[in-house]
Amino acid sequence: MGCFIDVRNVSKTFRVNKRAAGVAGMVANLVAPKYEKKQAVKDISFSIERGEMVGFIGPNGAGKSTTIKMLSGILYPDEGRLMVNGYIPYKQRKEYVGSIGVVFGQKSQLQWDLPVIDSFELLKAIYRVPEETYRKNLSRFTDMLDMESFLNQPVRQLSLGQRMRADIVAALLHSPEIVFFDEPTIGVDVVGKETIRDFIRELNEEDGVTMIFTTHDMQDIEKTCKRLIIIDEGSKVYDGSLFGIREKYGTTRQLDVEFGSPCQVEPINKVEIRKLDDLSGRRQRFTFENKEVQINELMNYLLAHYDVRDINISEPEIEGIIRKIYNGEAS
Amino acid sequence: MKSDTLHMMLVYTKTIMKAWFQYRSNALLSSLTVFLREATGIVVIYFTLLKFGTLGGWNIYEMLFLFSLLFLTYGIMIIFFTGLRDFGKTVRDGGFDRFILRPRGLLFQLIFTNADWFAAVGHGGLGIALFLISAGRVGIQWNAVNILYYLFTVMGGVLIQGAIFLLLAALNIYLLETNSLKELFYWNMRKFAGYPISIFHKAIQVCMIYVVPFAFVNYFPAQYLLRKPDMAQYPQLYLYITPIVGIVMYLAAYGFWKYSLKFYKSSGN
Repeated sequence: MGCFIDVRNVSKTFRVNKRAAGVAGMVANLVAPKYEKKQAVKDISFSIERGEMVGFIGPNGAGKSTTIKMLSGILYPDEGRLMVNGYIPYKQRKEYVGSIGVVFGQKSQLQWDLPVIDSFELLKAIYRVPEETYRKNLSRFTDMLDMESFLNQPVRQLSLGQRMRADIVAALLHSPEIVFFDEPTIGVDVVGKETIRDFIRELNEEDGVTMIFTTHDMQDIEKTCKRLIIIDEGSKVYDGSLFGIREKYGTTRQLDVEFGSPCQVEPINKVEIRKLDDLSGRRQRFTFENKEVQINELMNYLLAHYDVRDINISEPEIEGIIRKIYNGEAS
Repeated sequence: MKSDTLHMMLVYTKTIMKAWFQYRSNALLSSLTVFLREATGIVVIYFTLLKFGTLGGWNIYEMLFLFSLLFLTYGIMIIFFTGLRDFGKTVRDGGFDRFILRPRGLLFQLIFTNADWFAAVGHGGLGIALFLISAGRVGIQWNAVNILYYLFTVMGGVLIQGAIFLLLAALNIYLLETNSLKELFYWNMRKFAGYPISIFHKAIQVCMIYVVPFAFVNYFPAQYLLRKPDMAQYPQLYLYITPIVGIVMYLAAYGFWKYSLKFYKSSGN
């Protein structure tokens, strides 16, 4: 009860119309439609504290969007309990949605044919934002996101990065306590992404706005979120810190060694050896499991037996670990 | 609260207008196109009747009066119910999800964020033109009672058609696309509504009165004002109940809409 966002054993199943291909399939579908049940979310539970910033990741179709849509009140959960900020989102819609902001990276909420500022004015009326709050928020956000130059341009003329920034501001004008971002950096260039990430982080740190976002870009997560929830095939597979994921799954280590001259290294137990670059053997990569091989022993062994010039130890990248989790390789 | 709602309606309308003024000449042209498209049908009937004199006892001006009610009510109706007409598209492109995320009534948002002014001006303009041509030539006494009757009847006709659109929008939640149903039950039935229903086969008459009650949009109201002999075959009560039919149908459609919302499934990404 005490948690800001509390999700308990929530499931959601969609009924998908399954239709055979071609005209015959169309007719058959009309006469006797066949439905298939697709469980988008399976028994998910988690809780989030006020002011937290949580990244939701998972492959396409994992159930991220469905979860966000249930949290924001668009969808009803079939089973389980869902409570946000003291509200049951789908039951107390009108009261609840005034306190949240939602950014869909793929769907703009701006008026396509009108200047950005007109959409903002419309939202001000929709959310009954007091004039003073509106002015304050607008000038602060436009300043932070450097939007002065295109506030009076029609949305249809904006670049994707500009449009995304405008969409983010649109979701924040009414000072929401919680903001959901569904892929807020999709299709935005590197500089634009960085601006958006900085903005999100600042809003979380300074204003204490609770934020949940989904993304496919691991950089988004690494640069903003302390906490990560991974969903795969509708189930939660990881919930913890970004650091923790390395400890739990990132057990592989890599040692890149540069030798004084091309050489042939004798096979070492439980270590995979691979030649890099020109395959002459001047640079080689040693891959092994942290638990099975002591890194200092391996290094000592190499230094003692070979002419080593340089050693570079690398931890696995988060992205690689997550790919493994999706593929079901990690355990 | 009330003034806030009114304010919101104004802001929405202003926004729609602004967007339209982006394409001023196109907007005018589109309205004109709708007007001419609909007027063509009337012109054909006009010349047909010039040759034959009357249709089921109705002369050309009485026919135009019958038509004027149909176009006028549609013109007014489409100012408010465009959002319901296009509801299928709004669901498919995720626009409805956005409405759910805003602290305003869903039907309120659908009604006031969409208005097809091309159709409104085209149909409504034609309705007014036909009314002006015919109203003085069909022997109606435009006294206070008849004017009041006319206003309530127009409102009832608007609600009847609005209820049909609302019902189809609610069905959309289950079927995702109801354009063919709209074509079948609304537009096809509407084609009969331009004529005195007494000239049709009994089955069509039953449809027009009890299934898709276009008869209450224009035939019975016109009968109240014109008193043609073919009214004898219908209950006299029907002359007076258009506003009630409108309100009852709309409330029923609204109930079904409210109930259906529970089954709304977002379109997904």
